[in-house]
Amino acid sequence: MTNNTSKKIRVLIADDEFDFASTLQTRLNLRDFEATMVSSGEEAVQAVEQQKPDVLLLDLKMPDLDGLEVLSRLKEMGAETKVIILTGHGSFEVGREGMEMGAFDYIMKPVDLNELIVKIEDAHGSR
Amino acid sequence: MKIADIILPNSLKGSIDLGLERRSYGRFKVILFLIMIAITAIPATTIAFLGYINYKNLLQKDEITQLKWQMDGSIGSIEQMVGSLKSVVQFIARKDRYTELTTGSSLEDLFDRLQRQYPSFADLGVIDEQGVQQAYYGSYDLEGTDYSGESWFSEVMEKGLHISPVYRGYRDVPHFAIAVSTYDPVIRKTWVMRATIEADTLQNFVGTIKTEATDDLFLVVSEGVLQTFSNYFGQPLTQTELEIEPGVRSYMSMAQEEFLIAIGDIAATPWYLVIIKNGYTSNSEWRSFRSELFILYVVCMVISVIVIFALVNMLTSLIRKADEIQIGMMKEAEHKDKLASIGRLASGVAHEINNPLAIINQKTGLVEDILNITPDFDHKHTVLESLKSIDNSVERCKAITHRLLGFARRTEVLYQHIDVNETIREVLKFLEKEMMYSRIELDLQLQDNLPNIYSDRLQIQQVLLNIINNAIDAIGKDGTISIISNLIAGEVRIVIQDDGSGIPEDMLSQIFEPFFTTKETGKGTGLGLSITYGLVKKLGGDITVRSNVGKGTAFTITLPVKVEKQ
Repeated sequence: MTNNTSKKIRVLIADDEFDFASTLQTRLNLRDFEATMVSSGEEAVQAVEQQKPDVLLLDLKMPDLDGLEVLSRLKEMGAETKVIILTGHGSFEVGREGMEMGAFDYIMKPVDLNELIVKIEDAHGSR
Repeated sequence: MKIADIILPNSLKGSIDLGLERRSYGRFKVILFLIMIAITAIPATTIAFLGYINYKNLLQKDEITQLKWQMDGSIGSIEQMVGSLKSVVQFIARKDRYTELTTGSSLEDLFDRLQRQYPSFADLGVIDEQGVQQAYYGSYDLEGTDYSGESWFSEVMEKGLHISPVYRGYRDVPHFAIAVSTYDPVIRKTWVMRATIEADTLQNFVGTIKTEATDDLFLVVSEGVLQTFSNYFGQPLTQTELEIEPGVRSYMSMAQEEFLIAIGDIAATPWYLVIIKNGYTSNSEWRSFRSELFILYVVCMVISVIVIFALVNMLTSLIRKADEIQIGMMKEAEHKDKLASIGRLASGVAHEINNPLAIINQKTGLVEDILNITPDFDHKHTVLESLKSIDNSVERCKAITHRLLGFARRTEVLYQHIDVNETIREVLKFLEKEMMYSRIELDLQLQDNLPNIYSDRLQIQQVLLNIINNAIDAIGKDGTISIISNLIAGEVRIVIQDDGSGIPEDMLSQIFEPFFTTKETGKGTGLGLSITYGLVKKLGGDITVRSNVGKGTAFTITLPVKVEKQ
């Protein structure tokens, strides 16, 4: 369960739903990830720029910039952060759309943590 | 309820009750039929009737004209013939012969000579001013008879001429008499020459003018007593019922035959000429006209009835077909409408619920995580079990919200050229892991060089995803899914086949209906195949299903290579 590598995977959570994001952050930290969180698209872009996290968990629906916009901004920036899209839409279309825009993968809310961890590790491993 | 509501069949009413009440096409058909028959029959009958009446009038007028003309000619002839007889008598009664004729046998000589020329003369008599017959030659001894009281004598004395009606004389032979008066300057007295002539003469006259065109022609006096033989009334001197009045009349016989009777006065005689002719009804021209008209009318009517019947049948079935199409379209629209509103409602609810679900899910996850690193305490096991149960419930809710959200996805079609095989492979990428977990083999038989179809890629992906997901669900664990693509009759066909549990026959017809599901409560929304069906139809394609319980199910999707843009 715990990751023994000296270097923890740094995960940034971008979601405006505080209860969700904070809980996810706590749980990821409990599982030996270095998780931080932001609650808007703009903040997410800034945080990626400054912290250069390994993986960004990006919610599609946020008040200022939505997930897809954040994606395109990151693409412009040439950020190396891998993006996993969190979507509440029960549609694989949006996920696909995101993946076409450069996201590594997508996962639907509510999120199964183990599944998410597999994806995070996959994403990190693909760097 | 208005009267129109009762009379009009439902098929002519508005479409409010559409599909709810069976439209009464039978009654509509009958009404249409009757209206069309009336439209055809009324003018045809009117024309036939007017033609009939007009032709009848024309024939009648023509006949009357002809009869009058014949009448005038016949009267002229008879007057001429009577006139010549009268001239003979006037000739022999030359003014100064009174003395000569009343003496000796000169009257006898005269009669002999006369009879040689005119055999119908029966006798001659010379009557003096006082009305006493002074000389007589004939079959009887009538010399000395006093005629002064007779009306004819006063008439001849007054007018100079008298022609008597036919009478049966003393010899019981029909005769008539011509008497002329003349003034003798020698004796200075008026005297009268009276000649009796056999009625046969009249019969001969009549015989010469009677033609085939007439049915009866005879002479009669004003009292109606026959003067010559009549085909209808019999021998001369028979009393007839005829009302003698000059002119042309029509007359109905007992046998309902119409006759035309023309009566004309013959000048200076007591006689009237009567011509009887069968009416136009017995005219062959009329008869043939009538039967031709009748046949024509009947044929026209029969043809109209047949044509109208066929037309009405055709029209009714056309209307019925149109109605059926309309009902079908309305049902489809209704269905779409229903789906759309369900979709809106569902997506709203799903969105609202999904976020709290995600939070519950994370919170229970966190509690679980913390408990896992916490030393055991009383009831820890129970708490963990409860958390697990909350997780399961969240999973169920998740499945439902995801389905509901999928239901409300964008509906506009975005056309582009799509490689079907590539689309199948893309979709499979999303499902590979799941299939792997469930140990499901994939058998791909994709035909190379399939033409690109012009359609909506995302929607086709959605369709394929739904069907393949269903196949995975149907198999459960361990099985094979075959996906075949090929080009058939200008359309791309995709067959997705599983060797899962199969669908019972009685459910096959319902599987595309919304909210129909065989999955256990909470597992399916019953919308997946309904959505799929709607998408395929929207893209101009078709989807069919075959299934064998225990052997598997095959969905066949047919997509047109080109879609006519609507």
